[in-house]
Amino acid sequence: MAKVYDAGVKDYRETYWMPDYTPKETDILACFKVTPQDGVPREEVAAAVAAESSTGTWTTVWTDLLTDLDHYKGRCYAIEDVPGDDTCFYAFIAYPIDLFEEGSVVNIMTSLVGNVFGFKALRALRLEDIRFPIAYVMTCNGPPQGIQLERDILNKYGRPLLGCTIKPKLGLSAKNYGRACYEGLRGGLDFTKDDENVNSQPFMRWRARFDFVMEAIHKAEAETGERKGHYLNVTAATSDEMMKRAEYAKEIGAPIIMHDYITGGWSANTQLAKWCQDNGMLLHIHRAMHAVLDRNPHHGIHFRVLTKILRLSGGDHLHSGTVVGKLEGDREATLGWIDIMRDSFIKEDRSRGIFFDQDWGAMPGVMPVASGGIHVWHMPALVNIFGDDSCLQFGGGTLGHPWGNAAGAAANRVAVEACVEARNMGRELEKEGKDILQSAAKHSPELAIAMETWKEIKFEFDTVDKIDAAHK
Amino acid sequence: MKKPKTYVGIDNEINGGMTTIGKIIRDAWVFNLLDESETCAGWNLSGIDNLLQKVNDEWDKYGCLVSHLPPELRQRHNKIHNVAIIKAKSAGWSGNVETDDEDE
Repeated sequence: MAKVYDAGVKDYRETYWMPDYTPKETDILACFKVTPQDGVPREEVAAAVAAESSTGTWTTVWTDLLTDLDHYKGRCYAIEDVPGDDTCFYAFIAYPIDLFEEGSVVNIMTSLVGNVFGFKALRALRLEDIRFPIAYVMTCNGPPQGIQLERDILNKYGRPLLGCTIKPKLGLSAKNYGRACYEGLRGGLDFTKDDENVNSQPFMRWRARFDFVMEAIHKAEAETGERKGHYLNVTAATSDEMMKRAEYAKEIGAPIIMHDYITGGWSANTQLAKWCQDNGMLLHIHRAMHAVLDRNPHHGIHFRVLTKILRLSGGDHLHSGTVVGKLEGDREATLGWIDIMRDSFIKEDRSRGIFFDQDWGAMPGVMPVASGGIHVWHMPALVNIFGDDSCLQFGGGTLGHPWGNAAGAAANRVAVEACVEARNMGRELEKEGKDILQSAAKHSPELAIAMETWKEIKFEFDTVDKIDAAHK
Repeated sequence: MKKPKTYVGIDNEINGGMTTIGKIIRDAWVFNLLDESETCAGWNLSGIDNLLQKVNDEWDKYGCLVSHLPPELRQRHNKIHNVAIIKAKSAGWSGNVETDDEDE
C-alpha cells in the first residue's frame, strides 16, 4: 500500500483555510499550483502551504504568546481546478503586507518559496503568480531609469533597439573582442553585449575588456553620430567586487552595465539597481538559471513571477524569450509577462496566465529583450509581437553573416527599419514580411546576403511549459 | 584529437571556410593584402592576428561596410565572397549553423 502522508501534526485547515476571507487591497496575493501526495485533502494541503509560507513555523515557539499570529498569518481563501490536469490544483493565498519588510523582494521570496517547497505533504509546488499591492510596490525602487528615460538618454525613438551578444573573435583577446563590438555598432546596432559567462576569467579580465569595449563605443559613436552602448557584465563573486566594476564602467563613460539577477542574487541586484539610478546608468538584466526554476510546469517559480521580482528589484532590460526562433516560448504566456514588464496596469487574464490584476502605479517599465536563435527572417514577427519598446538581439544572426559583423549588423538595422516603416503604413507584418524584406534588400546588399544565408524557418518543437488551458 | 598548432589553411577549414579566420583571409584577398593563392596553411595565431589588424585598418577606411566600398573593390569583394558562400553551402554550411546552438 502506498504511503499516506500527514500534512502535519495539527490540522492546518483549522487556522489557515479561510474560504470566506475577502483579500484586502493591501494583501500580497499568491497563486500556487499544488500537487499533493496521495490521500492528503486539498483544503488541508493548501492550508499547509499558507501556513508554511507565513507563520506556520512560528507556532511552536514561546513567542506564540506575544505575537498576534492571526494578524500575520497567510490565509488560503480559494482553491480551483487546474484545467486539463487532475493531479494538481490552484491554491490562492493572501498574506498581510505587515508580514514583509518594505522594499525587499528577498524577504518576500524567502517566505513564499522557502521551506514550504520541501514540505513532505507535497509532491510538487509551483508559484504561478503574485499580486503585489500598490502599497508594497511604492516601497521598492524599481527600474533605475525605465523605458522612456532610456530612449531620452540614447536619443532613439520609434523603433525596437538592436543588440548582439559578442562571441570571442580569434580566441579571447580583449582587443579583438572590442573590435567585434565596434564592427557591430558601426554596422548599425545600438548595443552589443557581454556573454553571461564572461565575468573576469583569467583569459580576459574585466578591466581590459571594459577599456577596449569603451574605445569601440567611442569610435562607433564618432563615426555614426549615434549613441551606442555595450552591456558590460559586472556580475561578480561578491557585491563589493560587482560595485567596483560598476564604478569603473561609470568612470570610463559607459552608459549601460549588465547583471545576472538570479545567479548574482536579488540582494546584489537591488543594490546595483539603486546605484544605477543614483548614477544615471542603464541596467541590462540577464536571466541565467531561470529555466531551473521556471521550466517544470508542476514545480518551481513561473517566469511571470521572476519578471515581477525583477521589476521591483530593478533593471531596465530583461530577457523575455523570443516567441519565434529556436528558443521558442508559448506566445500568449510570453505576451503576458511582456505586459508585466512594460505596462502600468495589467488586468487578470487567464488566457495569458495572469492570475491577478497588477497595478505598478508610476513605477517605470522594463524593456523586454528577445535574444537567441533569431535572424533577419524573424524580424517582421518580432516587430509585430514585441512592438517598439523592446530590444531585439541577433547574436549568430549578426556575427554569422558571411561578410562579417558589420554587414550582419547593417542587414538587421535595414530590416528593422523596413518593418517599422511598413507597420506604420498599415501593412500586416507577419503576412507581408517576405515582401517587405525583399523590397528593402534591393537597396541593401548586406540584407540581400543575409536573406540568402538564413531561410524562413519553422520550428516544430512543442513548448514544454504552456498555459494550463492549453494542456487540455 | 590533438589540436594543430598552426592553421590548416582556408581550403581545409570547417564549414567550407565560413569561419572567422576564413573571413579575414578572404578580406585580405579583397584588399590585396594577400595573393588569392595564399591559403595561410601553416600560419600561427600571431600571423593571423597580424593579418586581422591589417584587414581592420583597410575596413576602417570604408566604415566597415561593403556598401561603402568603391565600385572596383566592391565588385572584387562580391566575386570573392560569392564564390566562398557557394563553396561553404556545398560543404553543408548554412546560416542555421550560426544560430542553432545559440542561447540567450
